[in-house]
Amino acid sequence: MSTDDTSATGHGSRRDFLRKLALASAGAASATASFDLSAAAPAPRRDIRHWDATTDVLIVGSGAAGIAAAIEARRAGADALVIEKFHVPGGSSSLSGGVCYCGGGTALQKALGFDDTVEAMHDYMIAASGLHASPDKIQIYCENSVAHFDWLVDNGVQYAQKFSDEKEISIPDGSLYFSGSERVWPYRETIRPAPRGHVPPSPHLIGGRDLMAALTASALKLGATLKVRVSAERLIVETDGSVSGAIVEENGQRLNIRARKGVVLAAGGFIHNRAMLELFAPELAACSAPWGRAGDLGIGIRMGMAAGGAVLRMNQGFVIIPIYPPETIVRGIMVNERGQRFVPEDGYYGLLGHEIAFHQNGRAWLIADHDIAFGWDDFRLPVAATAPTIAELEGKLRMPAGALVQSVDYYNAHASRGDDPLLHKAEKYNVPLRAAPFTAYDLTLQNVFAPVHTFGGLHTNIDAQVIDAFGDVIPGLYAAGRTSAGIPVGPYIGSGVSVGDASYFGRRGGRHAALRRA
Amino acid sequence: MKTAFAFLLLLTGAAIAHAAPPADAPVMASTKPALSGDAARGRKLFFQCRTCHYPEKAYGNHNGPNLYGIFGRKAGTREGYEHYSEAMKNAGFVWTPQLLDFWLAHPDTFLPDSSMIVFATTAQERADLIAYLMQFHD
Repeated sequence: MSTDDTSATGHGSRRDFLRKLALASAGAASATASFDLSAAAPAPRRDIRHWDATTDVLIVGSGAAGIAAAIEARRAGADALVIEKFHVPGGSSSLSGGVCYCGGGTALQKALGFDDTVEAMHDYMIAASGLHASPDKIQIYCENSVAHFDWLVDNGVQYAQKFSDEKEISIPDGSLYFSGSERVWPYRETIRPAPRGHVPPSPHLIGGRDLMAALTASALKLGATLKVRVSAERLIVETDGSVSGAIVEENGQRLNIRARKGVVLAAGGFIHNRAMLELFAPELAACSAPWGRAGDLGIGIRMGMAAGGAVLRMNQGFVIIPIYPPETIVRGIMVNERGQRFVPEDGYYGLLGHEIAFHQNGRAWLIADHDIAFGWDDFRLPVAATAPTIAELEGKLRMPAGALVQSVDYYNAHASRGDDPLLHKAEKYNVPLRAAPFTAYDLTLQNVFAPVHTFGGLHTNIDAQVIDAFGDVIPGLYAAGRTSAGIPVGPYIGSGVSVGDASYFGRRGGRHAALRRA
Repeated sequence: MKTAFAFLLLLTGAAIAHAAPPADAPVMASTKPALSGDAARGRKLFFQCRTCHYPEKAYGNHNGPNLYGIFGRKAGTREGYEHYSEAMKNAGFVWTPQLLDFWLAHPDTFLPDSSMIVFATTAQERADLIAYLMQFHD
């Protein structure tokens, strides 16, 4: 490709200029990490001499976003071709818990006797997502959540009519649970909690397999085509800047696929692209357990960036510190390097991990007494130190003298009455830490079991259309799931928001593309 | 290459029926002196494998089969696991540390149609992972 300076202002659209900017910045970045957009640079339509295949909507990736896009594209009457890099379809969605965060009075919520409203769901999602919330996306997601759950059921996803009151859905036959921090302070004070985690029943939170098996079968039944071991490399861009296809690789051969209506990038996040992760998300790169199927390499994001797509929230993601189950461990306290508490320990485990990764230098400890310490060597939580007194424990942890003693004394004084005036942990977890010996579990992100996944991606509107740096839509280019910057933000507000966002906005993108006049 | 693989068979005593690597498979690492694995490092390396596998007996199967007592077990035979690929069901061999090392080093040529994700590892990392997994047995 040309990086000739003389052509930068001589001709071409804003998009050409943007592309050069992207290439230039990629070149600069490569000095510190080997992140390079050039392999994903779009091909001009004029360089494409023939088409090897033609479809209406080309979908890159076969996870929840891609398959949902295929279903809706077919329902709108368009041809849909899904390509998958690996030989097993389903993406990270199929390895996930398979939870969809739904509410506002879904059929399952009603059947199990829970009242929920669109307003309560909306207010919780806005409040818990904090400054990075996407109000327009959250609003339309909540308004259509009841219908989205019906859509999942209509497409063959099966749910059990059973509620689980566990903090983690650890029973094999339940389908509805509190999957976020709805019952945690401060949200419970002003927003009526409702269980919104909807999940196919499964042991060990692996409902994603059943979820994706059902959705994929539905897409195929509707006539979508799924090709495995085909990976996308570059978008094909018309002279007017619109996207009209992609160059893909199959069995070592390059193929030009024409997409008459549009291309949906649904190729996951970038947790397994180390250079990209270190460049954009150093907090996430520090975590011990990159979580996702092998395709989370940032391919879709890079293709979109190279075509001028803007990106958002590239350093955000979920950082899960699964201290529970069992719930008794939540009676312990989490402290930072200064021996101070900083998060209600009964928060969603994505909240716990986020606070450590982004606000506590990646270092923290969970303090337990003899009554709640695990009676086994738990793979999740390595033991940093044990001691007969809190004073000795803080010495072993090299905390400022007296700091942890003060935190535990203060906590115990109020916990003995079931209170937690500092962080408002729920009453049932407020039990003094008095039984020696005491254990400090190491929650440092490199040592603790810390599953981590990326949330940053291409900037999109509510129809999953990719937006460029000028705020304009790139015609014919869509992104959904973790290839886009969607509803999930850090701190992650609850299980099911990512797959829920992927499936819902994948649907919107697939439908919008199918109905687009190209 | 065939002699290298024959050496592997000799070394492991494995009965390989259908899963022999193709003739162009890279020469395997075990022709060099075996690296010493560190189970403590392996414990952390294994974190991302937990997307699909538990080695702890009590936790049962997950996205993938439980790995308790993996070495010495015939491939594709974990009780209660219903999602083996055809490639793994028909593999026919008994797992040894050497075979696991070989698979993790050569996923494109050995059991390429398995549904398992194999992330790139160094020889030392594989030795550490294997040392960790060897702790889990009766």
